[in-house]
Amino acid sequence: MSLAAEAFVSQIAAAEPWPENAALFQPLKGEEVTILLPTLQAYLRMCNLPVQVCCRANAEHMSPSGKVPFIHVGNQVVSELGPIVQFTKAKGHSLSDGLDDVQRAEMKAYMELVNNMLLTAELYIQWCDEATAAQITRPRYSSPYPWPLNHILAYQKQWEVRRKMSAIGWAGKSLEQVYEDVSQCCQALSQRLGTQQYFFNKQPTELDALVFGHLFTILTTQLTSDELSDKIKSYSNLLSFCRRIEHNYFQEHERPGLDPLSIRPSLM
Amino acid sequence: MAAPMDLSCWGGDWGLPSVHPESLIVLAYAKFSGAKLTAQPVDRTWRMLTETVPTLHCQGSTVTEPAQILNFLRKQRYNADYELSARQGADTMAYMALLEEKLRPALLHAFWVDAENYANVTKPWFSSRCPFPLNFFVPGRQASTALSLILLTKGESPLNSIAEVEAKIYKEAKECLNLLSYRLGSSLFFFGNTAASLDAFVFGYIAPLLKANLPSSQLQQHLKQLTNLCHFCDTILKTYFDVNAPGCLPVFSPSSPPSPGSLSIRQDAVDANLQKLTQLVNKESNLIEKMDDNLRSSPQHRPRGPPSKPSSLPSEKNSTPA
Repeated sequence: MSLAAEAFVSQIAAAEPWPENAALFQPLKGEEVTILLPTLQAYLRMCNLPVQVCCRANAEHMSPSGKVPFIHVGNQVVSELGPIVQFTKAKGHSLSDGLDDVQRAEMKAYMELVNNMLLTAELYIQWCDEATAAQITRPRYSSPYPWPLNHILAYQKQWEVRRKMSAIGWAGKSLEQVYEDVSQCCQALSQRLGTQQYFFNKQPTELDALVFGHLFTILTTQLTSDELSDKIKSYSNLLSFCRRIEHNYFQEHERPGLDPLSIRPSLM
Repeated sequence: MAAPMDLSCWGGDWGLPSVHPESLIVLAYAKFSGAKLTAQPVDRTWRMLTETVPTLHCQGSTVTEPAQILNFLRKQRYNADYELSARQGADTMAYMALLEEKLRPALLHAFWVDAENYANVTKPWFSSRCPFPLNFFVPGRQASTALSLILLTKGESPLNSIAEVEAKIYKEAKECLNLLSYRLGSSLFFFGNTAASLDAFVFGYIAPLLKANLPSSQLQQHLKQLTNLCHFCDTILKTYFDVNAPGCLPVFSPSSPPSPGSLSIRQDAVDANLQKLTQLVNKESNLIEKMDDNLRSSPQHRPRGPPSKPSSLPSEKNSTPA
């Protein structure tokens, strides 16, 4: 969203409390893996905000920025983690209020690290590794569309992702180097987490939701090789962190009408 | 251990050993860790076409990209991060990612895409240091690489015009500078009294922005107000880059920490500045919203003609017309 629209939305958002019928829209299961889905669900549950999950085939087109999943609250539609965090903050629910400036700087830096390394690595493995792309990603991405649209869209998306990778300098990396980068990133996260419950001690913040979302997706997505999830499993405190969040926020709060995350393959 | 190492990099100006951020990162790290690097500027040679800058040559092996070069130097036992704890190492990685995501696009824009800066500063500098006929197309090629990087990483679907992308990247860059300033606080370097790789990265990105004579740069203005970052750059320049011969060991001895009295006064000044700057960044976004507000709530200032129906808002503002 443009800056003006963002400022406008947060002004409007502050006026109303969180309604009961808020909905989180995602594309149909079996389509492109959405990394943000567990992140958003975790974040909203950490804030104690009820939300219903709805699956729609055209979710991508309904979203204001083209990214899924997005939330529909009252009269507003907001997508992507950053704007949603601002939106909930405007409504008075914020997880990072208790942090001082230096801690907030650290939190933002770690969120960028996760976005920079893990997200790019996931994109690379899905689209630039020919084996994975041919066997898993392209069929999954093109499944809702008829022939020949499915081929065209899948190749177009692959071309876009490869262009972006070469712009940021990842095109020359081999798969082993990417695995190595992911491993270093997880090592940094593991060292930051240490023996604490959450990244900023007792209270979860949006960083915890983001890390949980990425790790959960990597651990539960089927890829051609298990090397990536093995690397994460080698960091035991990250694994127990994921299990703890899943246990605290996704298995105790089952309300009728919701689509609990436990239907998806769990980490246990 | 002392194998001769050559670094090809861009030359220096404006008081810096190199004007290219990535080259500057490597040069700074080499000084911090005591590695002997011979800097071979690619200015005025044809190597700038064939080599990606910076590149380290050592005993037949070549390494490119600052992060890889730093890894290589660490393996050669030139390690400036030796005294960092594991958690500080993790923080280093996180802050490096922050710099690359938030600050680098704005820097590229300020030097290569912004028309005034490019025409008055960047292009003349690079053209004057390229041999004929490279001076005609090398700067242009770098500019289009910079633009495509910005558009591909930041110009995603709803932000279709370059003006909106510019607004977004400058806002993020200013926030990033504020965050760095908070983290630095009033200490000499980011992790205590010794310089480490994070200091090299921050110095490499910030120093050109600080020292270049950019005619139009809101980012430079913003940076100059963050006095602790400016002081950080000047300290590094003075202590590590004052020796005349390039590549020799630094004559630096860790300076004694400033006295507590002046520390608290500087801390207060720094805090006051930071608060002012955070308010400024917030004001920018609030200003837009206020303008919108005023437009909707003052019927006297509407132009003559059929009054346009305001779009139905879920909750009308209670502000009375001016």
